[in-house]
Parts: sequence; structure tokens; C-alpha cells
Amino acid sequence: MPRKFNHGLDYDDDDYGDEYDDYDYDYDIDSDAEDNGNLPKPNQETDSSSIWRCSICTYDNDQSMTTCDICGVLRNPLPLSGISNGNDLKTASATVRKDNTSAPMSARFSNSSSLMMSKGSNVTGNENNQLKDEEHNLRSSAKSPGTLSSYHEGGVEHTLPMDEIKPPILARSLDSVSINDRGGTGKAASWGQYKPEKWMLPESEDGLLNQLNLAIVGHVDSGKSTLSGRLLHLLGRISQKEMHKHEKEAKLQGKGSFAYAWALDESPEERERGITMTVAVAYFDTKRYRVVVLDSPGHKDFVPNMISGATQADAALLVIDASIGSFEAGMDGSKGQTKEHAQLIRSFGVDQLIVAVNKMDVVEYSNDRFNLIKRQLGTFLRSSGFRDSSVLWIPLSAMENQNLVTAPSDVRLLSWYKGPYLLDAIDSLHPPTRDVLKPLVMPICDVIKSPTMNQVSACGKLEGGALRSGVKVLVMPSGDVGTVRSLERDSRPCAIARSGDNVAVVLQGIDTSKVIAGGVLCHPNFPISIAKHLELKVLILDGASPILIGSQLEFHIHHAKEAARVEKMVSLLDPKTGKVMKKAPRCLLAKQSAVIEVVLQGPVCAEEFSSCKALGRVSLRALGRTIAVGIVTRVIEKEP
Amino acid sequence: MRIVRRDLVRNGPGSVKMVPVDSDDLWFAYNLIAPGDSVMAATVRKVLREAASGGRDAERVRLKLEITVEAVDYDKVGSILRIRGKNILENEHVKIGAFHTLELEQNRPFVLRKKVWDSLALDVLHLMATCTYPGASADLAVILMQEGLAHIFLVGRSMTTTRARIETSIPRKHGPAIAGYESALKKFYDNVLQAFLKHVDFNVVRCAVIASPGFTKDQFHKHLLLEAERRQLRPIIENKSRILLVHTSSGYKHGLSEVLDAPNVMNMIKDTKAAQEVQALKDFFNMLSNDETRACYGPKHVEVAHDRMAIQTLLITDDLFRNADVATRKKYVNLVNSVKDSGGSAHVFSSMHVSGEQLAQLTGIAAILRFPLPDLDDIEM
Repeated sequence: MPRKFNHGLDYDDDDYGDEYDDYDYDYDIDSDAEDNGNLPKPNQETDSSSIWRCSICTYDNDQSMTTCDICGVLRNPLPLSGISNGNDLKTASATVRKDNTSAPMSARFSNSSSLMMSKGSNVTGNENNQLKDEEHNLRSSAKSPGTLSSYHEGGVEHTLPMDEIKPPILARSLDSVSINDRGGTGKAASWGQYKPEKWMLPESEDGLLNQLNLAIVGHVDSGKSTLSGRLLHLLGRISQKEMHKHEKEAKLQGKGSFAYAWALDESPEERERGITMTVAVAYFDTKRYRVVVLDSPGHKDFVPNMISGATQADAALLVIDASIGSFEAGMDGSKGQTKEHAQLIRSFGVDQLIVAVNKMDVVEYSNDRFNLIKRQLGTFLRSSGFRDSSVLWIPLSAMENQNLVTAPSDVRLLSWYKGPYLLDAIDSLHPPTRDVLKPLVMPICDVIKSPTMNQVSACGKLEGGALRSGVKVLVMPSGDVGTVRSLERDSRPCAIARSGDNVAVVLQGIDTSKVIAGGVLCHPNFPISIAKHLELKVLILDGASPILIGSQLEFHIHHAKEAARVEKMVSLLDPKTGKVMKKAPRCLLAKQSAVIEVVLQGPVCAEEFSSCKALGRVSLRALGRTIAVGIVTRVIEKEP
Repeated sequence: MRIVRRDLVRNGPGSVKMVPVDSDDLWFAYNLIAPGDSVMAATVRKVLREAASGGRDAERVRLKLEITVEAVDYDKVGSILRIRGKNILENEHVKIGAFHTLELEQNRPFVLRKKVWDSLALDVLHLMATCTYPGASADLAVILMQEGLAHIFLVGRSMTTTRARIETSIPRKHGPAIAGYESALKKFYDNVLQAFLKHVDFNVVRCAVIASPGFTKDQFHKHLLLEAERRQLRPIIENKSRILLVHTSSGYKHGLSEVLDAPNVMNMIKDTKAAQEVQALKDFFNMLSNDETRACYGPKHVEVAHDRMAIQTLLITDDLFRNADVATRKKYVNLVNSVKDSGGSAHVFSSMHVSGEQLAQLTGIAAILRFPLPDLDDIEM
């Protein structure tokens, strides 16, 4: 069975990275998910090949369809009681089999949802005869190799031609799923039933470059915004006129050196104080990638904003100030942000890091200083879980434009540095893997309301699936459905946005107050869970104060944040092996790994890490520091 | 609280007549009155009377009733204390044994009769009596905010009340949307200002603290002063100097403990109970991070530690005493007394303060030990 989730540069490997390993246990679940498509369902009603007439649009549908082809109306509205069958993941598949639901499709899916727990249920154990042909279809299609996963729905397969351009096809086949899914806890498995449409899949002869989300992080005043501004200017994204304007204004305010940073820090607050407060997004192109720059704030108070930006990242650029004293200040455990940012980045699953040692001109491009920084920081990065091979070290100077887009011209630097310049380094990064095969998931980073029309724009990075105009999306946590009017990327409209793209989605037909930053756009038939009570597996970072039952923390997940309380400490785990060392510990200290339960003040959209990575990563902060990072292992008590 | 008459025997029965003066006093009364005591106060009762024509007539009659307490309820929002119990005083309108709910109000005297005035009750009484002068009130108004979320708290002598909570969604600032950001922020500040004017009375509070992470506090302070000038808001203009700015790490409620910890705020409130509580809790957390085995929490662990005479400082919330059955209450009272006797110190936290709430989250009882007890880990919590 081909692996569905082709991760490419696989950070799931176990051969390195002590602490963060535990989070990457995807593969087990993946292989389970593969079985979904294959398992035929026992209690199906006989699907005769006669047709039924839709009561609304009078279209003649095939008997196997439970919803109308044209209007999407259910054939037989299901009683709600029948839905809850397969929803409890823990019930054995046997229980599910006993239940009889009237809709063949939903029964199928309810069964597969129980698959998550019952790995034992297999193809052969099935005694259903009616769907033999479907089975056959499933099996054969399952064997098809390549990137197209075999998440086929047999019913769709043999009754319809794969005329993939029209969205309704997917919608129709999924409508039948929806009934079950809406109440279901078996999200991870039922997502296995999702079949992406053809337009969603990336064309191989794209012509378009891959998109790469690059987060720029580092201690405060290390030169992040200036570096980004410089890059944008050198690559022609900022016109000379604009740059001149920035320079003039900056000099006027007495902040001449911030001229380049002002290209990204646009608000008067940021300019006045000379800092970045929220994540600024900019775009530029390199030879291989279309890079989305996420310039994060480095200030300690704005780490929540930095988290919001860094969750979108595929790779990161850690900017270090090489000047004497500044690097040491950045490396300070409690006051410096270098370490905290590096740990947070790693916990978001980013494994490719470029360390840009900035302000080399101040230290006269000294090789010794560079090596010292490399040694000290390198040890820390290694202990955080970054592989040495995936960390690149680039000395540069943003102010003097050395080693950014061309090889360095300064003699001192040329004498000892022979490596790539920054742009080359960015190009040498591996392309990130994209989950196009998953249903749509887009955490909303920003909401822009346009008071003129009843429209609202939601900005964010697509974590799964794809979007294009006209598609209906479900906005969580409110649960309202809206239509996509248009998509915008880099202030230019675009037709299709796929997983990994950072876009602004203009939504129509939805109450503007329902769309909030921290919400998630998802497929109407694959809603994601909202919950207040979660079980997490966390790693306590060092320097953290002890955590007791009842500790009040701030909970950060994708772009949402809430006040949280530690409800229960389930067990203490061995950081190296992940085995349970002690049940119900009294308190958690630094460098420990544990499973805890938290109760949030307000509901957030969250999914188990195994089913959706983007919605499963959490970080816990208290007293201005990041105390712990972790993943959601279980969503307890979902909200309706 | 004004004590009019006191007639009691230490650790014995007795009665006290008192008049609550402010809402804090009602809180003290809440702590004092336990099931089994009796309270006499003037109250209103709806009495049914048969009129000559046979129709029932309900009349509200003012009478003095004495009831044995069955349940005590403190309404935080309205600051009302309700006592429910059976009537024991002979009365022409109300039978003996009939249920009645007394509402204790400010400036109305009542008499509390207890079977046993234990040391804790006497402590509370003493505290109430000594803190009658207005200067001792720690009243501090705190505006704890972050972008899009603001809380207004009033930190009193023995309790902290949440006066207002304002939450709005503020869009981020990218490119063309900057205008939207500015206007949304301004609207947010206006809302907070309105709440501030409504709830913060500078005649009562000593000072107002604006706290936030980042620069929100500075922005709001600027906005506050500008608006005060523009609208000629006398209270703010006169008391400009009594507004402090403090940095916290978050705008959520638990950031309040950081506010109380800040040096300039601590100076203001260092003579009050609230400050002591914050300090004691901080010590506990420090001990826990430095030497895990010298700190413990949870009733079982603390009891075990006490048996071994290991407790140096006991931290306990008043929640545990209130409304517990007599035996449990006695146990805790004994615990507190014996810790004090053996040279340790005991802090009774008011559960209405932030630090008390924090302690309550940790089961409500904790202790710092004289010597490490590593085998506590093995004992179930």
C-alpha cells in the first residue's frame, strides 16, 4: 500500500531529536488510514440499479446515491439517532456493525471511523456481498500507485465518470458523508474518505514556482525587519521611489537606520518605537520558490504574535546579532528570545533552518566571532532537535548589503567565507510537503472587513485541501457557511489556491462578525472539532517554573489563544523513550515530558495532531515565557 | 464593621451584635456565620391574613426574627448575604420552625450567637474591629488589558471583584486595513474608558493601575488623558498622579497577581492582607521550584507533613472553613492553631483574592516545610 503522506524531508525520523520525536508518530496512523478505503461495509442496503426521482428538482438519480445529483437534497432524511453509531472511536467495530442505518454511505463511514482503534478489522473479515463490485473497485483502485491516494468512495467510482471539474461531484459524494461526520468524532478516519478533486491537485508542469513560507525570527533588534526590507528592495519588490520615501520619513523622525525596516513595519506605532509588533507578510521570488516572508516581532511581549506567524512557516530564518554583547544577551535563558524562538520554531515542525549572522560589519567580519557564535548556538540547536545537516550558517550584513543576493564583495568576508549567499541558501532548502489530499483546512490569521460590501476577507495559510472561487466553506467556530468570492495572493487575484499557499480569501454571504482571527475555514462536510477540554502531550522547556494542578497558563494553538487551566496531570513520560514513568505526578518541572489535561476558558478549533498537524500543535505560556510546547493527543468533550 | 456589643467566652458560647459598614464587612460576616449558629435581625416577611370577606391578604410586615442557620449564601455581584434557616423566636406572625431567609444589609445591625467561638472566629472578629478606619482599605482599581481584551478589577481588603470585562476583535494591520485597525482600537479604548469612569471612584480607591503587556497601557493612558482634557472629566484630571502603569505578561485574569507583585504597586498595598498573601504564595512557588520536596499541597499531604511536625508555613483558603461540617472545620482550626503554636506561621487566604483563587485551584491547602519529605511523592494525593 503506498504511503499517502509523502513527507519528503521527513522530520518524522527517529534517529535524532530527543524531545520532539514523540510528536511525530504519524506513520502509524497513516497506515491505518490507508485501510479505510478498502474496508467494505457490512450492513448496507441493497443498491439496485434503478433510479429515484428527486422531489425538489425532479432529476433522476442513481439508486446508490443518497442525495440528489443536482440540488444535493437528501433522499431520505436520516434520523439523528442513527448517526451516533460510529462516532465513538473507542467502540469496537462490532458494535457499529450491529447498527442498521438507512443510508448505505453513512454506515460505511461510520464503520471506517471505528477503524482508527480497531486495526485488526481488515478486508477479509467482511461478509458484505452487496457491494462486491464496489469492493472490487476499491481494491483495484487502492492498488493504483502514485500520488493519487486511494481514498475512493466506491459508490462514486462506478456510477459517475470522473468529470472532475465540477465541484458538485465532490459535494454530492460528500453530502452523504456529512450526516455522519457532523456528529462524528472519527474525524481522522472519515477524512480518509475525502477525495480531492482534480483541480485541487497541483499540475506537474505548473510553470508556477512552489510556495515557501519563510518565518524570520530572532532576538529583538537583531535586524530582522531591516534584512527583509533589504531583500525586498534588492529583488525589486519595492520600487526605488518607495524606498526613497521611507528613507526620507525615517530621517525625519530621527530613525534613519530603520529605513529598510519601515518597508515592513507600516503602522505608526511600530515606526515610532522602532520595533515590529505584529507579523508582516511580504512576497518575493527566488529561482526556485515563491517565498512568503513572515517577519516576526522579536520583543518578549509579542511572542504570541510571533507564534501566530510561525505556525504558518515551512522554513525559518533565525537572525542573530553578531555584535559583542548582543549575541550573549539574545542567548540569555530568561531575557533572550533567540532560544525561545528557536524552540518554538522547532515545535511547529520546522526542521530547515538558516541562521543568518547579521551585523557582521560591526565585528569586522571576524571569522572567530562567527565560529564562536556557530559553536554556541549550534549546540543549543542540536539539543533542540535540529539536525546539523539541515541548519545553514550564513554570515551577512544587511546594512552593507553583504552576502545577501550576490556573493560578498568585502575582502574580509571573502577571505574566509566560501559558502552560499542568502538567496542561494533559500533556494537550497527542500520543498515542503503539502497535504493536498486532505480536506480544506485554513486557520484564519487575519480578518479584514470591508464595510462597503457585505464582504469579509480572511487571510491565512492553507494547511490542507484547496480553494477557488465559488466554493462553499464552513467557518469555525461559529459554524456558518460562506461562499468564496475571490482569492488574492500578494495583492493579485489568483484562481486556485492550494495547500501551502498564503492567501486572502474574500468571503460572501456570511455575517462579518462570525469570522474571527483564530478561527478556521474548512470544508462544509468535514468540520473540525471545537473544544474546551483537551488532552495534551507536552514537553516542559527549561527555565520554566513548576506546573501544578490548577496552574493558569495561556494556551496558543495555530492563531488562537485562550486562558487555560491545568485540570489534571495524567502521567509523566520519559523524554527519551516516551514511556510512562509515573502516573499522576504532583508537579511538572523543567525538561520533563508529560500528558496533561487542560480546560480552556473559551472554545478553540483543535484537532488531534495525528489527524491534522496544523491544528494539533500547541504552546503554553505563562508569565511572559513559553513554558511548554506540545501536541493535542485527544479532544475531550467536543462542543456541538 | 462596627461591633456594638460583645458578650462571649473564648472557646465557649456567646453573642455579638454588629453593624456591617461596607461590602467587605459582609464578606467577613460570611466567613463568621456557620450552620448551627443563630442570627437575629430585622427583616420583612410576607404574612398571609384572612380578611373578613374570606379573601387572603398578603401583607409585608417588618419583624425581628431569630433563626438557626442552615445555609449561608454570599452574592458576589450584588454584595448581599442571605441566611436561610428555621425560626426560633416566638412571634405573632411566624411560627417557630418556619423557614425564613434573612438578608443582611449594610448599616443594619444583627446579632450573631454561636455555640463555640473558636480562635479563627475570634481572629476574624478582631480583624473586623481593627480595620474600621477608611485608610486601611487596600482599594485598588486595576485595569488589566491587552489588545482586544480588558478587565477592570477592584482589589479590596479581603476581596477582589471583577467590575467589567470588555472584549473586542481587533483586525491586524496590513496595508490598506490600517485604517480599520485604528478605528477599532479607538472604539475599544472608548469602551474601556466608559467602564473606567463608571466603576472607578477616586474617592474610594487609593489609586488606579493600568497594566498590560506591550504598549497597550501607554496608548490607553495617553487616550485617557486626552479624552479627559477634551471632555473636561474632573475626576481624572484631578487624580492624574494616582494612575500607575505596570507591565504584565498577559491580559488574562491571572495576570492580576503580577500586578500586585510589581514594586510600585506593592508599595501602595504593603500594609494590607492582599500583599501578604501574594508574598506567601510566591514563596511557596519559589520553594517548589528550588526544592520540590520541601513544599507540598493537597489535604492528605499536608496532614502527613503536619503529623511529622514538618510544616513551617501553612497556606489555607477560607473556603475550607466555611460551610464545612463541624468536624472538618474543627480539624482545620486545630491545624492552624497547632502550626502557630509550634512556631510556624499560618496564612488564611481570602478566596476572593487572586492569590486565594490560585491557591484554591491547587486544592486550597498548601505548606512550606521545614525539612524535605521526599516520600510524600509515594502517597496518593
